[in-house]
Amino acid sequence: MTAHAGRADRHEHLDHMGFGEQDPHEARSNMLLGVRLGILSEVMLFGALFAAYFVIRSESGGWPPEGHERPELLLPGLNTLLLLSSSVTMQWAVRAIGRGEVAAMRRALRVTLLLGSIFIVVQGYEFATNGFGLDAGVFGSTFYTLTGFHGAHVLAGLGFMAIVATRARRGLISAEHHTAVEAASYYWHFVDAVWVVLFSTLYVL
Amino acid sequence: MISSRRHAWIAAAAWTVLSILGIVLVAGIQVLPVIASREAEIENSAFVLLTVLSVPVLMFVVVGLAYSALRFRANGDLEDGPPIHGSRGFQAVWLSVSFVLVIGLFGYGAIGLIDIRGAQVSDFEVQVRAEQWAWHFEYPSAGVKSKELHIPVGERVHLVINSDDVIHSFWVPAFGIKQDAVPGHPTQIYVTATVAGTYPGLCAELCGFGHTDMHLTVVVSDRSALEDWLNHPPPPDDSQPPPDGSEPPR
Amino acid sequence: MKALKPGLTRAVLGAAIGAGVGVGSLALASTAGLLIEDGQILGLGYLLALIGFLFGLGAFRFWLTWAAGREINVAEEHAAHGTSGDWRRYIRFTTDHKVIGVQYLVSAFLLFLTAGTFAMLMRVELAQPGLLLGKEAYNQIMSTHGAMMITVALISIIGGLGNFLVPIMIGARDMAFPKTNALSYWLLPLPILLVAVNPLLGGFDSGWTAYPPLSQQANLGQQAYLMAFVTVGISSILSAINFLVTVFRMRAPGMSLMRMPIFVWALTVTATLMLVATSVVAGAFTMLLFDRVLGTSFFRASRGGDVILFQHLFWFYSHPAVYIMGLPGLGAILEVVPVFARKPLFAYPLAVLSFITIGVLSFMVWAHHMFVSGMAEFFHIPIMLTTELISVPTGIVFLAALGTIWMGKLHFKTPMLWVFGFIWAFLIGGITGVYLADVPTDIALSDTYFVVAHFHYTIVGGTIFGLFAGTYYWFPKITGRMYNERLGQLHFWWFTLAFNATFLPMFWLGIEDMRRRVADYPAALGGVNLFVSIAAFNIFLSVAVFVFNMVWSWRRGPKAAANPWRAHTLEWQVASPPPIQNFDEIPTVSAGPYEYGGPVGAPAEGRATP
Repeated sequence: MTAHAGRADRHEHLDHMGFGEQDPHEARSNMLLGVRLGILSEVMLFGALFAAYFVIRSESGGWPPEGHERPELLLPGLNTLLLLSSSVTMQWAVRAIGRGEVAAMRRALRVTLLLGSIFIVVQGYEFATNGFGLDAGVFGSTFYTLTGFHGAHVLAGLGFMAIVATRARRGLISAEHHTAVEAASYYWHFVDAVWVVLFSTLYVL
Repeated sequence: MISSRRHAWIAAAAWTVLSILGIVLVAGIQVLPVIASREAEIENSAFVLLTVLSVPVLMFVVVGLAYSALRFRANGDLEDGPPIHGSRGFQAVWLSVSFVLVIGLFGYGAIGLIDIRGAQVSDFEVQVRAEQWAWHFEYPSAGVKSKELHIPVGERVHLVINSDDVIHSFWVPAFGIKQDAVPGHPTQIYVTATVAGTYPGLCAELCGFGHTDMHLTVVVSDRSALEDWLNHPPPPDDSQPPPDGSEPPR
Repeated sequence: MKALKPGLTRAVLGAAIGAGVGVGSLALASTAGLLIEDGQILGLGYLLALIGFLFGLGAFRFWLTWAAGREINVAEEHAAHGTSGDWRRYIRFTTDHKVIGVQYLVSAFLLFLTAGTFAMLMRVELAQPGLLLGKEAYNQIMSTHGAMMITVALISIIGGLGNFLVPIMIGARDMAFPKTNALSYWLLPLPILLVAVNPLLGGFDSGWTAYPPLSQQANLGQQAYLMAFVTVGISSILSAINFLVTVFRMRAPGMSLMRMPIFVWALTVTATLMLVATSVVAGAFTMLLFDRVLGTSFFRASRGGDVILFQHLFWFYSHPAVYIMGLPGLGAILEVVPVFARKPLFAYPLAVLSFITIGVLSFMVWAHHMFVSGMAEFFHIPIMLTTELISVPTGIVFLAALGTIWMGKLHFKTPMLWVFGFIWAFLIGGITGVYLADVPTDIALSDTYFVVAHFHYTIVGGTIFGLFAGTYYWFPKITGRMYNERLGQLHFWWFTLAFNATFLPMFWLGIEDMRRRVADYPAALGGVNLFVSIAAFNIFLSVAVFVFNMVWSWRRGPKAAANPWRAHTLEWQVASPPPIQNFDEIPTVSAGPYEYGGPVGAPAEGRATP
């Protein structure tokens, strides 16, 4: 393991430029700040989509418009529970690796991946059975664009987690080197938060 | 070597003289080429005020630049200038003056806007419909349709504007009125024409390649002439603009 | 085989393969009976071409290796920084910020010349009443001119000069994320190419503003523009993240925020705007693309959509965007002034505060582009207030510039000439902006040539004059050679006189009711339009002088010293051009960037204490 850690050591620190001037602690902080800023940008993207939804909804005669029904709450409610739990397990993973417990981190990460994947499956089933499509006027437009962008972000998050899991399996993650786990957790919590807003505004309100 | 005070006084004197000259030149101008409505009159006053206020601002910077270019050239002198980092007093004055100016302009503009919009009551209503690339007018009180806009002089007219396809914009420069025609979202203009005559109108929002030629004509006349015209409506409008956007034959 | 190594050849191959797969798969699906639209084919083809291009270039190789948990080839990663003197590093995925800066600068100037050529075509049409190229062609040429120039204004200073100089100016060896930096640049060639060839796809005639419903009307060229814009937006956001992390976390010891050069401050605020605002227009354009290609109804009134909603979302980005364009120019100007007036930058802390205030306020004024759009009536007055207010911090730029110039020791080298030209032009732009901020006057002026004149005075006056000032100023640092001063002066005078002659009459044309975006106008305005066209051709000719000067001087100019301007900021304390690692040792900073005012002969060592 020590030899692996040595390699990880060099790669994590030189992964941006190779002049060795910057110490690993700095590189990690830079990366995490970068991730947070990227999330801020994504918040604005969802902001635009939500703004469109609110404007269109407030200008329609009634919501849902003629010919549409309120979506059922069972499946999306289940999805909310899934995502909230997955944020908890994701945080377990971060805490575990902070204590150096690689095996515990890997377990928590696998559970998070599982919960996220079930979310996708449930949502896919919901889309297939809710009886309207993207081109069903503004109701379909707003519903699918918002849930679709969110779903794409979930998929990206799952993909990133899978990459982190691979690196963990190869022994490249440790208490000193787990920036990727933290970055994944920031992103995942963001995805979860967006879902909560989405659930409240698209389904409940 | 004259002192910094001296420089400032000379520049200030130049500024004062040029500003006064400039203000005198622009104070009485009419900016809008044609003023034929109550609204255009209000707008022109705003134009004149802004132009008058612009003069000292413009002159301040121009005099500053010109004076500096003439009197502060290094001309081979390699020494640095004085290590002045700022001046609290000057900065405070600059900020205060600009802030007051801006608030004043805002106040004047807000009052002007409210005045232009006026009360939501009218003596005469016309429905305006835009399409690529022509204007259509409907007079609900008389059940008349036309491709020309006829309105009474001296009365408050209500225009309800719609579009059949893309965004257009209804603009009559002589009246100082402009409002987009938005599909699915009727918009309004209230206008009081003050001078009888015939005036051109234009589409003021890019609406495809026929935008260049999308014109209209407005005829302002007294009530009785207008009633006459409404009672003898123009021939039915069944000509569609040809696809290349050129004006259809009359 | 050369094509198998990461590089431009493989990148083009990758793009072709990607496009082929994208277009081919959907064409196949279409023949198999599925309902596929042209727009969907273009969309998938473009997306896969972009990914293929970047993959072929080798943009992803380090990340993919990292993701697979395999060992990164450290030597290869070092080599990605490029070797000094190897010209091929400019056409590869090179991570050195100095290379990326030059890539941005050269690309921006090439785009500028292309967009300028389109402008010349516009002025040919408008030189006389009547039609020459035709209304359809004119709208397309005009839209493409706008799209290209907006791109130039957005990327030239922050991507070009900013990338090259900011790390050095703050005492760092590179940006925080060099690979991402290179990716930001290489995301640009394909969308730019797409915009350049959009006439082959039918062109787009909606203007860069792309308002629906006009932009929903079928025409692939329109879609090409929308996709290109979103791509440039993504590049922007990545750049912004890089800038902000670099500035906030990689400054040399002793360089507090209030000792940063004003240019760096301007770019920091710019990057913040880029980060926060761009996603909103990306969202708007995506909704528009969905309306076109996937059958949604965001902006279709007949199906519950809201046409004006697009304008709100568009301008929520696009107003901050004009500050993304303008602030770097303002920063470059204020950076140059102290050096050529040999005086500290007047009111530096206030200038910093005003940049920040402009940034914040820029998010509160967008609807002044919509005063006649039919938006909710109550909105006009608050927006008029915020728009008027933003002129207060903007005015501070004049305070800083004039305050530095006053009582200075003025050296009228080319960069300083551009400063004076800027002050005049930006002043005109600013004053005329007040006419547009005031709703009563805006009603008469909206969509006329007054607006065209205003934004050319602010954007050319701010961004382009700033770009020229900065390019001449930093030319010796970037190239190691000095430009020709006489040609520089010729360029300045010719350009400035031609520019003013072109755009000053347009204010009058607007008041005389000439609309924007038209291919023809009333005969009475023919004389002035002819004058404007002739003046505009002169702008183009003067830029040819500039291009010649740059190219000739880069190859044959006299070698430049490390600090020909005797400036105090850090980039001037290293060689011209800087060594690959920027500094032999990271300096420690002990004073501000504009401490001019010492006796002649005092070494202009800045404050770097090795």
